[in-house]
Amino acid sequence: MDGALTLTDTRSDRGADTPAAVLDCAGLTRSFGDRLAIDDVSLRIAPGETYGLLGPNGAGKSTTIRMVCGLLTADAGTVTVAGLPMTPGAPARALVGYVPQDVALYPDLTARENLRFFGHMYRLRGKQLAERVAEVLDLTGLTDRGGDRVESFSGGMRRRLNIGAALLHRPTLLVLDEPTVGVDPQSRHAILDSVRAFGAAGMAVLYTTHYMEEAERICDRVGIIDHGKLIAEGTPRELVAQVAERDRVELTATGNLPGFATACAALTGVTHTDSGDGMVTLLVEDGRAVLPAVLDAAERADIAVRSVQVVEPDLESVFLHLTGTSLRE
Amino acid sequence: MHPALTIAGKDLRQRLRDKSAIVLGLLAPLAIAALMSFAFGSAQTFHLDTAIVDEDHGELAAAFTSMLSSDDLSDLVTLVPATSRADAESKLDNGEVAAVFVIPAGFTAAAHGGGAVPVTVLGTVDQPVATQVGTAIANAFVARFNAVRLSVGVAVAGRTPPSDALVADAARAALPEQVVARSAGTRPLDAISYYGPGMGIFFTMFATGFTARGYFAERANGTLDRITAAPVGPGTVLAGKSLATFGYALASLTTMAVVTTLVFDAYWGPPAAAGALIIAISLALVGLTALVIAISRTERQADGLAGIATFALVLLGGNFVSLSMAPAALRTLALFTPNGWAMRGFTDLSTGAEASAIVLPLAAMLGFTAATTAIAMFLIRRTVTR
Ligand SMILES: Nc1ncnc2c1ncn2[C@@H]1O[C@H](COP(=O)(O)OP(=O)(O)OP(=O)(O)O)[C@@H](O)[C@H]1O
Ligand SMILES: [Mg+2]
Repeated sequence: MDGALTLTDTRSDRGADTPAAVLDCAGLTRSFGDRLAIDDVSLRIAPGETYGLLGPNGAGKSTTIRMVCGLLTADAGTVTVAGLPMTPGAPARALVGYVPQDVALYPDLTARENLRFFGHMYRLRGKQLAERVAEVLDLTGLTDRGGDRVESFSGGMRRRLNIGAALLHRPTLLVLDEPTVGVDPQSRHAILDSVRAFGAAGMAVLYTTHYMEEAERICDRVGIIDHGKLIAEGTPRELVAQVAERDRVELTATGNLPGFATACAALTGVTHTDSGDGMVTLLVEDGRAVLPAVLDAAERADIAVRSVQVVEPDLESVFLHLTGTSLRE
Repeated sequence: MHPALTIAGKDLRQRLRDKSAIVLGLLAPLAIAALMSFAFGSAQTFHLDTAIVDEDHGELAAAFTSMLSSDDLSDLVTLVPATSRADAESKLDNGEVAAVFVIPAGFTAAAHGGGAVPVTVLGTVDQPVATQVGTAIANAFVARFNAVRLSVGVAVAGRTPPSDALVADAARAALPEQVVARSAGTRPLDAISYYGPGMGIFFTMFATGFTARGYFAERANGTLDRITAAPVGPGTVLAGKSLATFGYALASLTTMAVVTTLVFDAYWGPPAAAGALIIAISLALVGLTALVIAISRTERQADGLAGIATFALVLLGGNFVSLSMAPAALRTLALFTPNGWAMRGFTDLSTGAEASAIVLPLAAMLGFTAATTAIAMFLIRRTVTR
């Protein structure tokens, strides 16, 4: 491989303050009608860095990404890619590879025709285009299906091709919007591994997800977004350190769960509670110490507890700590 | 290759994989053009074999005979010689002729002031149209002399004579030059040469709806975002989509021209001039498509707008009904439609006008293209990054 994929590894000097940021968003703000969808979001991504934007449904991940890719104008704020402003039709676009949240391919064209078409849009042509199409088909494991129409593909194959179509022009910044939604575990692992590899090869990656395991596994830095605001940012380790003293207790149960959650909130040692989907989640100072009181409260509130789990601090706990709600769907 | 061409090529490829494009682009206009020319063009293709029995031997009978054998009627009537009334009737019976004119003794004298002596048209029930046409011809002749005393009698062998209504119909049917009334040429216009281009253009106008819907479908399924995320300007996307309309219209109309010429004997004019008109109307449809896309906000709006535009334009432009007989106001409105100008150009060409007759239609269509494209390009910029 050549070009953007073999940029020297700049991990040593990566960080939020690196002047040579590949992506620099400053003060991005956007409303839809009266709804403020994105509120003053600023973030920077260094070369070779994988940045995860973690947030629940409707947090504003896609809206942010659409502004980063120049598909949506910001009410305020700027986006620069490798120092170039992202404005309509600007050369900055040639540096970005965009993987939309929903598969965006032509089902009535073959995989190869789709790739050739999108390659053309990035001004690839001739031998170079043919080579890149072959490489991307190989990378996505679709070489022997290249001549088949996309409508005959499985969901996982479409997802892979959806990513592949953004890699043809060897982008400096790869932007992926929830690329693993609705993908089987095996394809998901393959996708995560390849995203990891892109970062390792020197590409800057902006990755959105609402799965905290994904963010923890592949991202160098994570920004937590909720209600259009970036509420925390740091390496997964830094973020988890904020709640290092806390355990998360997850109970699956039936009964009046919101009432039970409120009751738990009154217990000493419980700092945050949330309920939903047959589950009550507590953020507590010491899981083992508080558990008897919690089970006691459950019995009093006539709650049938199916299972109890005490979990080490993770990004899920961070989110609960910061927002008072849990991240899971 | 420029991205606009790639987009157009991709669209055309998708269109061709969809069988309905072939139906709509070729089979439907062909079928409807054939049907329309069958329905409205029968008077032009009708031919009457007839005989005259001259029992008058006067100058008026001779005039009638020479009228029937004149060049004016040679397309419509063939005069078969008959030696006597009995000979003519036997030819009528065995189908050699479809109607017989009997000019009675004293016919010329009557015209000069004698008694009323009618021309008799003998027909058969097998061929009522022939009887009607014969009656109409006789009536026209009689009317020419404005002689009230002369009249036409009709005798249909075996059964009842045709009703007044039928005769009136026949009189109308005998005026085949209706469509030619306005054209600059001298050839009579046959129906297929009118409905070939008429229907071809009508169905390619449908293509504007296709393309416009396709644009919004791409917006909905995210591929448009993907294209706009690339360094491809909004104008390029619009140009690519519109070019697909151009290619489709060009292919559809050219195929229509070739097929109607070879199969139905239509005449679209000299190839170069007809080709220029086809290119011009295809360009005009590109402008129309771009405008529909730029004005619309949703797929549904685009669909509705394209439909309304198509029908308004084909009705005003005279794709279905020739405007030669229409009131002046309607004909003036047609001058605001690109298809009206195209139809005018095709009509002129197919009736034998000089190729220079299409200069004005070409200019008008190119003007329409320029105006719509300019407005569309102006409007599209505000819609791309919502
Ligand atoms: N085109 C639009 N018109 C109106 N509101 C919009 C539009 N796009 C997004 N929004 C609103 O902006 C907010 C953020 O939406 P966004 O799609 O960015 O969320 P998300 O984090 O990507 O969610 P998900 O995980 O479900 O994809 C939501 O409240 C959404 O309803
Ligand atoms: Mg989203």
